[in-house]
Amino acid sequence: MSVGAHPGGVGEVNAALAEFAETHALPEDVRRDLSVALDDLIANALSHGRTGPDPCSVTVEVKLDQERVTVIVTDDGPPFDPFARAAPDTSLSVEERPIGGLGIHLVGQLMDKVDYQRRDNHNVVVLVKELANG
Amino acid sequence: MQIFTRTSDDIHIVSIAGSLDSTTSPEAQKSLTAMLAGAKKVALDFTELDYISSAGLRVLLGAAKQLRASGGKLGMFGLNQSVREVFEISGFATILSIYKSEAEALAAM
Repeated sequence: MSVGAHPGGVGEVNAALAEFAETHALPEDVRRDLSVALDDLIANALSHGRTGPDPCSVTVEVKLDQERVTVIVTDDGPPFDPFARAAPDTSLSVEERPIGGLGIHLVGQLMDKVDYQRRDNHNVVVLVKELANG
Repeated sequence: MQIFTRTSDDIHIVSIAGSLDSTTSPEAQKSLTAMLAGAKKVALDFTELDYISSAGLRVLLGAAKQLRASGGKLGMFGLNQSVREVFEISGFATILSIYKSEAEALAAM
């Protein structure tokens, strides 16, 4: 499925993922981890992409086999590697903690494998979640 | 996402049902900020919370700061495995009080 850079876009993806999970009897915890990862990844992609009359669009493809779920998120925004940023300091107290910067860290930790490539003027992010680790 | 509140003695119990993500967090933030004004002890009931992303964590961090500033307390209970995992990875599990059950939260707060 494909979503445009508008506020409801992320919600549409997660609704579609919930439907996919139900159809294919995906374990609840796998579906929840994927929802978190997609929410953070797509919100991130949309915030770095173009807005205005020609907003960037994000395409999400989900593949399922017996061992793993693979999610491919492609956007046509400017080159942006979400995993290039340093991990935030999660040992700071509530008062010291800056608001934000956690999303991509969560994606990397919740998924079993993440990958980024710039291909044909598109950002291509691949997320892999092993079902055995569910 | 839906938010309900009830009280038990001097503790406000705020139940958040559905998901706390980039779509729902602006509304959650607005509701929570209003609910926390004047509250001292707040227990968040996550029994019906499906998942939480970093946008949701930001809302909770804001709530925790708001309560700390006014000398209040923030606790939570009823976390499912995915929500608990997100709290542990983010480090929030060590900075916000997590209780096993509503009874434990109410007794400790």
